[in-house]
Parts: sequence; structure tokens; C-alpha cells
Amino acid sequence: MSVLDGIAIVGVAETAIGKLPGRSAISLQAEAGVAAVADAGLTKHDIDGVFSFSGYSQAMMLHAARVAEHLGLRPELAVVADVGGPGTHHAALLNVAAAIDADMCTAALCTYGENGISIRRSGRGRAPGTLTGGEDFEAPYGQIAMISGYALFAQRHMHLYGTTSEQFGAVAVTSRHHASLNDNAHKREPITLDDHQASPMISSPLRRLDCSLISDAGGAFVVTSIDRARSLGTPYARILGYGSAATHHIPSQAPDLHELGGPSAARRAFERAGLTVADADAVYIHDACTFSVVAGVEALGLCGEGEGGPYAESGALALGSACPVNLHGGMLSHGHAGGVFHLLDAVRQLQGSAGRRQVDGAEVVVAHGNGGVFSTFSTMVLGRGQ
Amino acid sequence: MTGKPRPDLTDTAAAPYWEAAARHELVLPRCDACGLVFFPPRELCPGCWSRELSWRAVGGGGAVWTFTEVHVAFYDDTWADDVPYVVAVIELDEGPRLLVNLVEPDLARLAIGDRVEATFEDRSEGVTLPKFRVVKP
Repeated sequence: MSVLDGIAIVGVAETAIGKLPGRSAISLQAEAGVAAVADAGLTKHDIDGVFSFSGYSQAMMLHAARVAEHLGLRPELAVVADVGGPGTHHAALLNVAAAIDADMCTAALCTYGENGISIRRSGRGRAPGTLTGGEDFEAPYGQIAMISGYALFAQRHMHLYGTTSEQFGAVAVTSRHHASLNDNAHKREPITLDDHQASPMISSPLRRLDCSLISDAGGAFVVTSIDRARSLGTPYARILGYGSAATHHIPSQAPDLHELGGPSAARRAFERAGLTVADADAVYIHDACTFSVVAGVEALGLCGEGEGGPYAESGALALGSACPVNLHGGMLSHGHAGGVFHLLDAVRQLQGSAGRRQVDGAEVVVAHGNGGVFSTFSTMVLGRGQ
Repeated sequence: MTGKPRPDLTDTAAAPYWEAAARHELVLPRCDACGLVFFPPRELCPGCWSRELSWRAVGGGGAVWTFTEVHVAFYDDTWADDVPYVVAVIELDEGPRLLVNLVEPDLARLAIGDRVEATFEDRSEGVTLPKFRVVKP
């Protein structure tokens, strides 16, 4: 038994995604939070824990207390976790599970999101380059954006394994196809491999269409005990297994590709779940760039080390395959405001509420990926509540 | 244009690194207890947590571990006059990896594994940055 066995994700919600001028990050998180509580069949007065993260474009101290204040809540717990990427949301689940087990919380609201586009117009944003940790030894060389960090690893993968730009393009095209099935996605118009190859180079080998979007958006989920979830009578998701890993902070200090934390996070999560990746009906991989998906399918064991490029090119990522990837469209096409939407869509698959992108009868869905530049990894195996 | 990011030269754990760079020398911290040569500099050895450290001159030879050509000036115009520029991770012959710029890169031929040597850029703001150039075969 683990405390994670005792919790259920009972409600999920997201705001509109895209350019939302005039919307503060806190207002987006609050809007998603209110909607997630309603989706759970709960009310404001049921919420006695708040877990959140500010996002990096307007990093803030004590952010969960800010969310609670904004929503007029005075919870016992107002806690921030910052693991990076999906690890941030997964760590909130770990915190909530412990709090519920300790009788410190009965229903927690977890809110995320930022106004990554509009913060720039307001002049109040902070370049993530000031937060990435390489201020003395990397930023002076112009390593100030996450995407050029990712490019370093994409380049090395191409060198070691023969991966091609066209294989990265296959990830972009499939993500956009999935987004075309999602009415709330930021970018829905289909793209072709030619579009990908014609898109301008950002940081070689990554082109514009290899990069995740920047979006204004909020997303939230509600967690309660399994017993409470059953009494609510709404579909919910359970945690079957969780694993994580941290290997470095700045890109120059990373181990080589095969020693990054992805495979160990995934292995730990599947072992704790008593499952293998063959049991997964869909996976959601934090796609800061197309290469993240190539690395992710390898880490999860959907293909062998170094085989992620051919795997992506084979069509195995698309809806209709045995284990489709990023059915909401991912950060490449659905939206990027901290990466919570992968978890939300994984829950929707298990609730059976994913609409045109639903995998029929989904029982096991995996959310996986990294924070920083492959610095931390987190894998959560989710199952349909019953 | 806002100034480019510059290292904190007052950090006592790293000051000898930057002072050596100003003399156009490359030095790295070495642990007296376990022998580990490491980067970035810090007040303890990340291998064994000993605080008994010395500075060791290194040859500046190494190989390209990976690289990217940055085409976009991110966030603002700070790097607008520099793009495109090459960011590379260099693996020194002594083991540690450094993220640096490659100067005068021949992009048509640049490849992972290329041999490099240290060079130094004296910046106007009083900082000298170790950089690297590909050694012609």
C-alpha cells in the first residue's frame, strides 16, 4: 500500500488557450480552478488544500497562498511544488496524497498556468533565462533559452543514433493532427512535413515547428480520497505508480543521453504499478520540443534506445495506433502554460470524456516527461477509477 | 540594449577561475582528497564533499560533445548583434564539460567529436570568457 493508492483525480478543467490579452496568470489559474471544482461535483466549501505553481514567466513566492487568497479560501495547506515539467504536477499529487493520509486535507485544488504571451506585452514578465541556473557559467555564452538547451541534446541524438529532422517533423505533424481533433487547442490547422522542413531554424537542429508554443492558459485539477470519489459518482482517475529522477540542473552538467533520468523514472513507475508500457492505452509526453517525444518513447520503452526517430516516423504516435502519444495536441500544438494539460487529458481519457480523440475503453494512461533541460524526470501511471 | 549576462566575479568559490581567464589561462578545481577534477567551481567537491581543493592548470584541449547554432535573439535585443552564434558543450581532456561558444566556426564542417582548443575573449565589461575554436586537422 502507498498513500498514492488512496487518492483520486475527480475534476479537471482548462481555460481558453492562446492569446488572451489582459488576462493575468492568477486569473487564468483561478478560472480553471473554479471550473475544476465544478467538474468534480464539489463546491468552494469542500476545498481545504491548495497546491499550485506560478509558472516561470512571472515567478512568485508563496504562490499557493496567492491562489487561495484570490479564491477566498483559507485552507490548512497552501503548498508550491517546483520539480519542472510534469514533475511539478506529479509532486503536488504526492503532497496531496500524504496530506489526505494525515487527515490534513480532504479535497485539494491544484492550479497551474501562465500568461506567457501577454506578460511580455505588459512588461512585467521575467525572462526564464534569469531562472535557469546557468547565470555564471552558461548565460554569459548566450545559453539563455530552454530551446537551445534542448537543441544540444537533439543534435547529440542525431549524431549517436542517426536521427533525422524529418523524424522530428513526424512528431510535429502528428501533434497537430491530434490538436485538430481538440476544439480548445491553440493551433488546429493541419501541417505537413514540408511545412516543418520549411519552417525557420531557431536553434539547430530545431526549427520553429519543433518548438512548443507559448500560450496564455490555465489548467487545474481536483484531488480527493478514493472513498470520497466513489461517493461523488463521477468518473475519476487513480494513481497506479509513480517514479522520478533528478540528474543535473544546467545542460553542461547532464549525463549522456542514455543516462538521463527518463528511463529510470519510467522503470520505477511501472514497477510500482506492477505493469509494463504494453499495458498503456495512451501516453502523454511533456513536449517542450519534438525531440522530447523521441526521447520519451525510448524512455518509456515503447522502442529501444536510439530508436525513437524511426518509431515516430512509423506512425506509432497517432490516434488509432496501439499506444498513441499526446492526443490533446501536446505543447507543440495544444498549448504551453507549464505543461499541466498532459495530465488533464490523461485523466479525461480515463473518464471517457476526451471526445473525438478518445481511446475507446482506456484503462491505463501514462504521463511522463522532464523539467529543465532533461534535468528532472517524472512518470505517473494512471488508471481508470472503479 | 541591455548588458549581456556576466558572471559573479565576487563569488569566492569561482574567483580564481575568472582571474586565471583574465590571464588567458584555464584552471579547474581539483579535490585534494579524492582527486576529482570538476566544473563548475564550488566550495566543496561534488564527488566526496571534501572542502580541501586546489586549482589545477589544464591544457585547454578537448572535443565537441554537442553544439547548436542559435538563430534567434531570445526575449530582447541583447544578443541581436550576435546571431547566429554557436553554443557548444566541450568535453575537456581532463574530463569536465563546459558550455561555451565556438569562435569562427566552420558550420559546414563542424561535427561532434571535433578537436578544440581554448581561446579567450576579453569583454568590454571587464570579464574574460574562455571560449574554444576547432583545431584544424
